[in-house]
Amino acid sequence: MSQPKKILLYQYKFEFENGPEINFDVELNAQTLELINKDGTPKPEWTKLAYDQCENCPLSPAVEYCPVAVNLARIVETFRNDVSYESTLVTVKTPERTFVKKTTLQKGLSSIIGVFMATSNCPVMDILRPMARFHLPFATSIETFFRSISTYLTGQFIRAAKGLEPDWNLQKLLVHYKAINSVNKGMSSRLMNASKQDASVNAVVILHSFGDGISYFIQRELEDIEPLFSAYLDPQQQHDQAAEATDPLSPPPPP
Amino acid sequence: MNDKILVVDDEESLRLTLRLKLKAAGFDVDVTEDGESAIEKLKTRAFDAVLLDINMPRMNGIEALGIIRQQFPQTEVIMLTGFADFTTAIDCLKNGARDYLVKPIDTTELITRLRSLLRSRSSEQALYDVQHQYASIFFEDIRGPLTEIQNDLNKVLKLKGKSEATERDKLIRDARARCETISKKIQMLLDFSRTEFEGKKAEGTPVNVSELAERLQKIRES
Repeated sequence: MSQPKKILLYQYKFEFENGPEINFDVELNAQTLELINKDGTPKPEWTKLAYDQCENCPLSPAVEYCPVAVNLARIVETFRNDVSYESTLVTVKTPERTFVKKTTLQKGLSSIIGVFMATSNCPVMDILRPMARFHLPFATSIETFFRSISTYLTGQFIRAAKGLEPDWNLQKLLVHYKAINSVNKGMSSRLMNASKQDASVNAVVILHSFGDGISYFIQRELEDIEPLFSAYLDPQQQHDQAAEATDPLSPPPPP
Repeated sequence: MNDKILVVDDEESLRLTLRLKLKAAGFDVDVTEDGESAIEKLKTRAFDAVLLDINMPRMNGIEALGIIRQQFPQTEVIMLTGFADFTTAIDCLKNGARDYLVKPIDTTELITRLRSLLRSRSSEQALYDVQHQYASIFFEDIRGPLTEIQNDLNKVLKLKGKSEATERDKLIRDARARCETISKKIQMLLDFSRTEFEGKKAEGTPVNVSELAERLQKIRES
């Protein structure tokens, strides 16, 4: 008898002043971080792959539906008449803790849409999937940049451990984010046709802005957080690193 | 000096990303979260352009646009929206916005449009300045000969004898010549300033505005 799949559950609740309470459960396979779609997930016309397909879409025409669009369908249909700046109290329950924030609808939606997109099985978005395990609702831009870079560097560490060539210089991270932003752009165009107001579209625009800003952050703003890493710049620390240089996992010196 | 840009958007990530991009492109950038705070910032500091989101709480972009056009006419406005809507775009442009961009914004496109807008704005400003300097010079040129004509005519009134006929005729001829000069200058001035003062467009011939401004400057100096 096969073991039941372990599920990672994020429960989102949107509460509006004088309005309904709307709940969304994000169920992920804890092992693969793949989104578990419930039966009866709507598949409106705009979720078809060929409908405003992203310019860099790697999926074959044989695939009928865009996996990202399908994952977003229920949430987009629910909020299609809502404006981005509508105030809402969002509660997010994760297995470890509960987050509560009074925020704009676009911010709350960008948080949940981010998880849906990263876990949708879209080949371009797959690189973001580990971030879904360490989901941080309502993250600021800087927090998101930091999580993205940390996740990517962890991935490179794992690559090095497996004998694969790591990318310590983050060069390919920027390439990945360029591709991710093509998907974000394509998706915002899709959602514009699926919505009557801007809440969902702007939620994707927020995700696009993270992708757009990360290269600037790495190239120009990283020095802002450099003082936080003063312990890493200690010469003694460098000495220790040099002593361990035979370790195959040690990253090369920065460029 | 770098062009000063104010980014107005209720979403923190968009403000930060635009700030990073524009700063990297050499602009001096400030950010704020809604129309009301944008107006407050404009009261304390001059900006060359405002990137203004439309859907914002408290005071939305359309309301803020009206106030900016009225109170800060030297500041250019580019509207930003997450939701492309042709009617809104037309309304914004009718109400004085210089451009309208749909999010997610393409960085290269934004910077190109912003630079082009500010370049044409500075050329227009240079032309405007030269026109006004030119006008004031012309008025000086007219006032001098007019005073001379007045003096000549006063003299003519005093020269009543037959023996003074030759001198009288000379004064009248001089006055008439000065009148013709003034008339020509007034006509030139009217032609030149028609676009600015009467809102009429000159006959369209492509020109380099900087070169034109230099030529006018030379005319003025000569």
